[in-house]
Amino acid sequence: MIVFKTFLKVLRKNLPIVILYTTILLVFGISNMSTSENNMNFVASKPNIYIVNNDKSDGITKNLIDYISNNTNVINIENNEEKINDALFYRDVNYVIYIPKNYNNDFMAGKNPEIKIKSLNDYGANLTEMLLERYIQVAGIYRKSIIDENELILKINDTLKNDVKVNITSKLDTNSLDKASYYYSFASYSILACLILVICLILSSFNEEKIRKRTIISSTNYKKHNRILLLANFCYAFILWSLYVIVSFILVGKIMFSSYGLLYMLNSFIFTICATTIALLVGSLITNKGAINGIVNVIALGSSFLCGAFVPMELLPDSILKIAHILPTYYFIKTNEILKTLEIVEFNSLKPIFLNMLIIICFSIIFIILSNIVSKKKRKIA
Amino acid sequence: MSNIIEVKNLVKQYKEITAVDNLTFDVKKGEVLGLLGPNGSGKTTAINCILSLLNFNEGSIKIFGKEMNHDSYDLKKDIGVVFQEVSVFDELTVYDNIDYFCGLYISDKNQRKKYVEDAISLVGLNDFKKFYPKKLSGGLLRRLNIACGIAHKPKLIFLDEPTVAVDPQSRNNILDGIKHLRDNGATIVYTTHYMEEVELLCDRIIILDKGKILATGTTDKLKSLANIEEKITIEINELDINYLEKIKEFKNVDDAAYNGNSLVITYKKGKNNLLEIMEYMKKENIKYSKIFSERPTLNDVFLELTGKELRD
Repeated sequence: MIVFKTFLKVLRKNLPIVILYTTILLVFGISNMSTSENNMNFVASKPNIYIVNNDKSDGITKNLIDYISNNTNVINIENNEEKINDALFYRDVNYVIYIPKNYNNDFMAGKNPEIKIKSLNDYGANLTEMLLERYIQVAGIYRKSIIDENELILKINDTLKNDVKVNITSKLDTNSLDKASYYYSFASYSILACLILVICLILSSFNEEKIRKRTIISSTNYKKHNRILLLANFCYAFILWSLYVIVSFILVGKIMFSSYGLLYMLNSFIFTICATTIALLVGSLITNKGAINGIVNVIALGSSFLCGAFVPMELLPDSILKIAHILPTYYFIKTNEILKTLEIVEFNSLKPIFLNMLIIICFSIIFIILSNIVSKKKRKIA
Repeated sequence: MSNIIEVKNLVKQYKEITAVDNLTFDVKKGEVLGLLGPNGSGKTTAINCILSLLNFNEGSIKIFGKEMNHDSYDLKKDIGVVFQEVSVFDELTVYDNIDYFCGLYISDKNQRKKYVEDAISLVGLNDFKKFYPKKLSGGLLRRLNIACGIAHKPKLIFLDEPTVAVDPQSRNNILDGIKHLRDNGATIVYTTHYMEEVELLCDRIIILDKGKILATGTTDKLKSLANIEEKITIEINELDINYLEKIKEFKNVDDAAYNGNSLVITYKKGKNNLLEIMEYMKKENIKYSKIFSERPTLNDVFLELTGKELRD
């Protein structure tokens, strides 16, 4: 009992660390949730373009320019090749359209006059190209059957004004799931840092050679003493996990009461156990208290960056993600990502999630075996 | 008196180095045994072997008449150890530190509370109960270290150089505490390289060097091993080499040496030596600032036995 009590006293001295990392989680969690409130609303973006019109006639040419102008931002720059190239270089425009001389007449004559372009090949340029191709295709189809230019323009405009309505039929509360995924993925950093830092600091105090000697020569069974320490560490981990789950209920809301919430909690619980075993391994290896902070930064920050706790996985390069496969955090975050888009909660769809959890459990077993080996080696009497 | 510790033919080797070489001794109930020797003489290694903190190559160790092993928890409950290094938690207060180490032996909360208070009083830390170790001076830390080792009121106490690097006030306090433990019947094994402490506290002394016992006995018995009977030290700023040679030829003089500011003369027999040398100095008009005579110390015995000083 005295060992457990003393563990709590030493833990109390390290509470500011827990408060610090929990605050970081709360700050980032809340700020992210406020920025992802309107995920379901889409606002069309308009690319910046410049049109060099060498055909001053009305009709099709003017209509084409009007259509493109309505769907893009036409930028005013000097009609000079050097200025145009500069504007492209500095990304002031995404796309430049060169309408050739006699475009109108040639088009109506059934020729296919070539429109030259200059493009940045980015998203805005692709969108402009799509608009241009769409107009030319629609105009080309109607031109075969309509000879009168005004009638042709009316028909083209009539066709192009039809908007396509997109309805998202998914029943998923994607907004809440996004929030939950972000919260739990980010929590991996706080859980790892809080557990490794605090457990290592506590263990380094208990395992300090001179304290260890005093414990060994006492009438308390040393193995029993270590078992109590282990239990105390897992109790601390459980309390920390419970705290983070309670925070998730407050921040994320009702989705946490669904089966999704249960899966997030289960996933984070297994990850917390794994993080505790990592902390026990690091704690058994460390002899210098001063090195703990550095090691925590390498492990917690490193794995969080590599595995997508801060930057979404889809934005990370494949080479980084390949390296991340050797870290348990990767499987934890991967599960959070799967949960975000999981349509149906049933055994088959949950298989990859359970597989990830199993991998994390395997990691935990490996870490606990390693820390046992290290502890036994250290305990060995010369 | 029954033996509390029986060590027979103890050998501890680190590869080619023999740290403890065929050590045999016993400690009687209520006795204070001093293990005296320079750094690296094998004192701490011997204690670590006795406490089963180290495996040993040969020999046997019995404590309270029973074989001592790693899992002799029934024996360990009556043993207290104060290590050379201060072994406390930085995160715990003085009270909590003593409470924790006492708690490794005593599970009853009320009894422990009384024991902890007793230990705090014994080492004089009543005003520092709520202090953290980092706020304590070196001497106070040493006192805390002792309190942590003896709070459970053990019958056998090992004190491994408890007064290293402490101020005189703390040293006196520590020595008073140890006397108190001795007077209350505890058996004590005290290792140090401070001969004054050994002379003050110990009933019997073992002089160790290179893992071997060089001599054993009471202070007087050990001092009788020295060839000299008197040592006279004279503080002189300048001394002609001819005078030194003359002094060496005096009756009873064993040796005389001058180190630049003091002349040390050792005598095989000790009668009227001081008077004789003072008269000689007056006659030759040699100016000196201080002159004093002393009996041989344990350091002289050690010097006699090994050819080197205890604190080398």
